[in-house]
Amino acid sequence: MARGQTPPDDPAVRARFERDVLPLLPNLYGAALRLTRNPQDAEDLVQETFLRAYRGFAGFQEGTNLRAWMYRILMNTFINTYRKRQREPVTVGDDEIEDWYLFDRLGGSGVEASAESEVLERLPDEDVQRALEALPENFRMAVLLADVEGFSYKEIAEILDIPIGTVMSRLHRGRKALQKALWETVRERGLVRD
Amino acid sequence: MDLSEIECEQALRQIELYLDGELAGLERVDVERHIGGCSDCYGHSQFMSRLKEMLRDKCGCHDVPPGVAERVRALFAERGDPSITA
Repeated sequence: MARGQTPPDDPAVRARFERDVLPLLPNLYGAALRLTRNPQDAEDLVQETFLRAYRGFAGFQEGTNLRAWMYRILMNTFINTYRKRQREPVTVGDDEIEDWYLFDRLGGSGVEASAESEVLERLPDEDVQRALEALPENFRMAVLLADVEGFSYKEIAEILDIPIGTVMSRLHRGRKALQKALWETVRERGLVRD
Repeated sequence: MDLSEIECEQALRQIELYLDGELAGLERVDVERHIGGCSDCYGHSQFMSRLKEMLRDKCGCHDVPPGVAERVRALFAERGDPSITA
């Protein structure tokens, strides 16, 4: 909980919060869904995130990175509160997954070279979301922040409070694991020949 | 003439950093130049780029269910002293 922080009682601060922070809700809610994997926990997580943000908002420096600040609160809240309730997916060893796992397999499965990415685009949104949600948590957070939310390595390092080298490692391994999950989905959907 | 041309192996290793916008200066120029002249590495780069786009499109900004936005707004709309909701 945001100890020692009091909610802003200045109407101008409240208006600024509503103007600047509330529009981030759809993205934060999407991220919360990917983290918690269910709508009720996702709602609880965004509510707690907005509450903590609101309490700390008076101390937030205007002009600094508001999105990164909000995602830091979201990730911290998730890690400290909701993660304990989550059951982690079974972690698979990723050492044997090659860097271009998915590209190589799509290329070798009778798919035209130029159509490799089109196969992926035919996957329903829910399938891709499930593949992302199946990643181990540390990988999932890194991929979510980089690929879905477009944060830089430096921003991710600050949001997750980890060194940039760790960001790079989690991102690389997370992307490889995601490629493997997507390949399995593509095969299950019958979008490629075995 | 710049002599720091890179091979496919190095380019393929750096495409991830390149597409993440994490390469600068000569490193960036080298990868860009290699991809521009190598159809195989260009294909790899395009694929990874589309993969990133697909993730953003399919996993990003989500429709917020009716009621959720209202409940979030209610946390701070009325008074400056919101209480925690269960």
